[in-house]
Amino acid sequence: MTALWQLTLLETKMFFRDKLQVFWTFLFPVLMIWLFGSMFENQAPEGFSFASLYIPSWIGVNIVTTAFFTLGTVLTGYRETGVLRRYQSTPLAPWKILFAHTIQGTVIFSFSAVVLVVFGTLMFDLHAPVYLGSTLVALLLSILAFFPFALFLTSLAKNVGTAAAISSLFLNLMLFLSGATFPLEMMPDVLQYIAKILPLYYVIELLRATWNTSPIWENWTPVLVLSCIALVSIVLSSVFFKWSGKAE
Amino acid sequence: MEDVIIVRSLMKSYGTKKAVNNLSFSVKKGEIFGIIGPNGAGKTTTIEIMEGLRKKDSGEVSILGMNPEKERKVLNHRIGVQFQATSIQKKMKVKEALKLFAAIYNKSNTGDEMLKLLGLEEKMDTYFDDLSGGQKQRLTLALATLHEPEIIFLDEPSMGLDPHARREMWNIIRSLRDRGTTIVVTTHYMEEAEKLCDRVAMIYNGELRALDEPSRLVEDISSHFISFRSPDFPVGQLHQIAGVIDVEHDKELDAFKIYTEDLQSCSYFLFKTAHEENYHISDYKFERGTLDDLFVHYLKGGESA
Repeated sequence: MTALWQLTLLETKMFFRDKLQVFWTFLFPVLMIWLFGSMFENQAPEGFSFASLYIPSWIGVNIVTTAFFTLGTVLTGYRETGVLRRYQSTPLAPWKILFAHTIQGTVIFSFSAVVLVVFGTLMFDLHAPVYLGSTLVALLLSILAFFPFALFLTSLAKNVGTAAAISSLFLNLMLFLSGATFPLEMMPDVLQYIAKILPLYYVIELLRATWNTSPIWENWTPVLVLSCIALVSIVLSSVFFKWSGKAE
Repeated sequence: MEDVIIVRSLMKSYGTKKAVNNLSFSVKKGEIFGIIGPNGAGKTTTIEIMEGLRKKDSGEVSILGMNPEKERKVLNHRIGVQFQATSIQKKMKVKEALKLFAAIYNKSNTGDEMLKLLGLEEKMDTYFDDLSGGQKQRLTLALATLHEPEIIFLDEPSMGLDPHARREMWNIIRSLRDRGTTIVVTTHYMEEAEKLCDRVAMIYNGELRALDEPSRLVEDISSHFISFRSPDFPVGQLHQIAGVIDVEHDKELDAFKIYTEDLQSCSYFLFKTAHEENYHISDYKFERGTLDDLFVHYLKGGESA
């Protein structure tokens, strides 16, 4: 097996060895949907079911969780303890390391999405996405926007503690202010405006739309916003990503 | 023997602090070369510049005829590196780390002979985090040597090891040398430098203070001293004896150590003064310094200079 696949496989295995990560990525969203479902199941707007709005949005949340915790925080830890630096004195190419982690993150996210869909189908009669192709493209675009975004933000942290703090802040902010967990309409006007500057808002808008009402090309606002975030954060993360926590 | 490492006039600063200051040395093929000095002397910076992980400010560094800054990719196949800090994922099993590194170097085996030597065979299913300090060091050493590199860089390989584990580590390092591998090792344990290294470079504040075989360094006249006890000999008077380099005085034990260029004339003066002034001298000895003593001596020399 090549080093690239070996590393991807190992990192995926190691994710499942970390019980906390498994809880937050797989169990927590399911618990939250169950909780909010029992509160808001009958309050969905005309023509939508609770599940068809909130399962896609929690899938979106899980992109953020994976990006910030599975990728960002873990890599900050690797930077701090010298794991990344250790690779630098081997012939393993730097892009392969980041690529391995990106694949690992995508695989874990996909697992969690499947779990949510199965749970939604069983518990809340979730229907399949109306525009399946569009939904998949929307997911890919969201990953492209969020993975490098999280890598950039967490690479500003000097240690795992700070990285985890940054990650928690962003996750919680977006969790409650982007309409992922309960209807934005229930919140004051000011907060509804703030929601629109959070990247997750656009992920959720795009996922809900493609799941229920319209194909991706009819949703150019979120597509444009997410593409811009993807572009900017890929540039920023490649400029600011460091292999060592120490001075050069 | 050919020189596999050449360092000339190496300089490196962090801000205004000179971490490495005009350092020059060379390492011969097949020797264990020690870089010794206290914490913060510039050992790690020096070794990391040789590994190509740090950029030098100026000077010349050649590793196996290559420039580590520019040719790190090629060089990485031919050198092995062990870091000071633990640098393996906590939840990675020993066998997984070995397999990963074997894959990185395109090796089909994981150096079974080496594993036997390192005594890691029974720990294959243990997470890195659950290994003892000594086992961690042995694993990172196994990872540094699995591709049979020509030069191995070890940064404080016996840090945190108990005396028994340290001796085992020395044996492993010696057996690597006996296979023809060149080894560069940093340490702040003088005993390690003395017993393990073929040659040592002593550095302090980034500057080279001494460079030779350990046995020849301790032969250095300035590392020889006189020790004795006296409850009443005034320290000030000792400093005035011709040829005295340094005097150490332990007030609690009334013990003196006198480093001098001329042991004989110093002794004559001591006993003459003691006789005249009626001072009492006991436990009088000529002592051969260890590397430790020499080191302290060089440090003091550096500070007063």
